[in-house]
Amino acid sequence: MKILAVCGFGVGSSMVLKMSIDKVVKELGLKATVENTDLSTAKATPADVYFTSQELLSELKSSVKAPVYPIKKYMDVAEIRSQMEKYLNEREG
Amino acid sequence: MSLVNTLLPSDQIQVVEAIESWQQAVALAGEPLLKRNYITSAYIQSMIASVEEHGPYMVLADYFALMHARPGEGVNQQSMSLLVVKEPVDMLDKPVKIFLVLAAKDNQSHLESLQRIMTIFMDTQKYQMILEGNKAEITELFNEGGNEQ
Repeated sequence: MKILAVCGFGVGSSMVLKMSIDKVVKELGLKATVENTDLSTAKATPADVYFTSQELLSELKSSVKAPVYPIKKYMDVAEIRSQMEKYLNEREG
Repeated sequence: MSLVNTLLPSDQIQVVEAIESWQQAVALAGEPLLKRNYITSAYIQSMIASVEEHGPYMVLADYFALMHARPGEGVNQQSMSLLVVKEPVDMLDKPVKIFLVLAAKDNQSHLESLQRIMTIFMDTQKYQMILEGNKAEITELFNEGGNEQ
């Protein structure tokens, strides 16, 4: 599974989001690679699921086929875990 | 030379009681980098403009803002600085106490130091300690590797 963490510039926020997703991946024992990038690169980068901010959600959603989930606080591992579980459930269902 | 030691030198860490606006906080947070000519004042303006344009998405946790702008533009040297404000400052409806300024030259070279610094912020106990705003303690947190030279 490939997970993409996306922010506006791809330098700071998405890196932090990636670190939090890495923790969740570990917690849930998922087999996944996590990468971080800026919005315009993300649009052209295929992945199984994307995580980004509320502000960038609709723009990213309109450009990629895979599901996109919004994250309010990039350092909030609990929030990201619950969004990840939502994705896993919806994928199976 | 230990890289950890140079992560966040004490003169790039500031603690103040309160500040009037988030714009002033961003400017003050970036001041040590400006003085060293690591960044130009254009970079500070870009960080402020970015929040005004895209909203406070740089607030990554309660009270924590990772301030940055487009890499390279207005950045002479990859660097970081930290401002802790004891009284929360309103940034477009989000309360912020910690302003971490990230000045990156490109998309890659700062990632390792950012990752190391964020490991500290993502540690709940250390995060609480930073919020308390004791400068000596904060400085020690970011210079723990200083003895490993």
